[in-house]
Amino acid sequence: MSAEQSSGGGTVEYIQHHLTNLCAGECDPVTHAANGFFAWHLDTIFVSLLLALTIVFVGWRVGRNLNPNTPGRFQNLIEGIVEFVSGQVRDTFPGHNPLIAPLALTIFLWVWLMNFMDMIPVDLLPLIAGWFGIHYFKAVPTTDLNTTLAMSLTVFLLIIFYSIKVKGPVGYLKMFLFHPFGKFLVPVNIVMTLIEELAKPLSLALRLFGNLFAGELVFLLIALIGGTAAIGVAMALMLPLQAVLDLGWLIFHLLVITLQAFIFMVLTIVYLGMAHTDDH
Amino acid sequence: MNKPVPPGLLLVGVGTMLTSMVVAGFVLGYFTDVWLDSSPIFMLVFGGLGLVGGILKVYRLLARTAW
Repeated sequence: MSAEQSSGGGTVEYIQHHLTNLCAGECDPVTHAANGFFAWHLDTIFVSLLLALTIVFVGWRVGRNLNPNTPGRFQNLIEGIVEFVSGQVRDTFPGHNPLIAPLALTIFLWVWLMNFMDMIPVDLLPLIAGWFGIHYFKAVPTTDLNTTLAMSLTVFLLIIFYSIKVKGPVGYLKMFLFHPFGKFLVPVNIVMTLIEELAKPLSLALRLFGNLFAGELVFLLIALIGGTAAIGVAMALMLPLQAVLDLGWLIFHLLVITLQAFIFMVLTIVYLGMAHTDDH
Repeated sequence: MNKPVPPGLLLVGVGTMLTSMVVAGFVLGYFTDVWLDSSPIFMLVFGGLGLVGGILKVYRLLARTAW
């Protein structure tokens, strides 16, 4: 313990503590990491469900109080988002499928809100959770690989479903057999197409996870500037530095979370659009 | 079904497509090399093949779009 602290173990401990999920089920009793299949990251589930319910509730409230003549500012905002998403779907998506636009809107809003949890001061939610006797609380669901992979796998299943539905089982198999090199290099085609298809959900999940995890880490490091400064003259220098850096990263990160939500949505539309074209 | 779509955001998928094809080629070649103990012949051959395949795929995708 003392050896750990003398070698800067405090900061490492701080970061590790913040990056540990509240695990239930088959978890390691020491590191609190998942240690089996039936491990539940309760904080991730809780926050993401809470945000999903927020979307449903706000959507329900706005939908009930729609005013076609004099839309309020909030209704304008929601209408703007819906128009924006459906415009993207119209521009990118070939053919017609009534599922795509709502799916894209859900992904965009949900991912954005989950990302937005990053904007809340890193120590605030764990502190509040601590009052209720919860010692581990990772507030940003998209910094948990389980969330992003679950979403990208759902998209992946939809891709397979619509590929088979549109192209037919034979057409879907043909895509693996005869692409991209025709019928002379069938084994190569199979492996290449397989890897290319598997790269879709993987890149989708890892891109979002990586961006948000790194963003969270930078927030933690900035928070450490003031926390580790010695009381006294150093504080006078470090605290303004922390405030400036935090503000800068916050503004920049606001761009990042929006961009990541947008990319996840657009790639979903594009991949599903590819699944909807006959001649792959 | 095959109406020409404006290229726009379809281009977002091009990067993933090209890279994953090249990577797929290299992976395939690597394991063929391990299997046949012929490093690095197949890795280079399949890597090149992946690049060509990727370009082919991207070309076919973009040929459908209305520029």
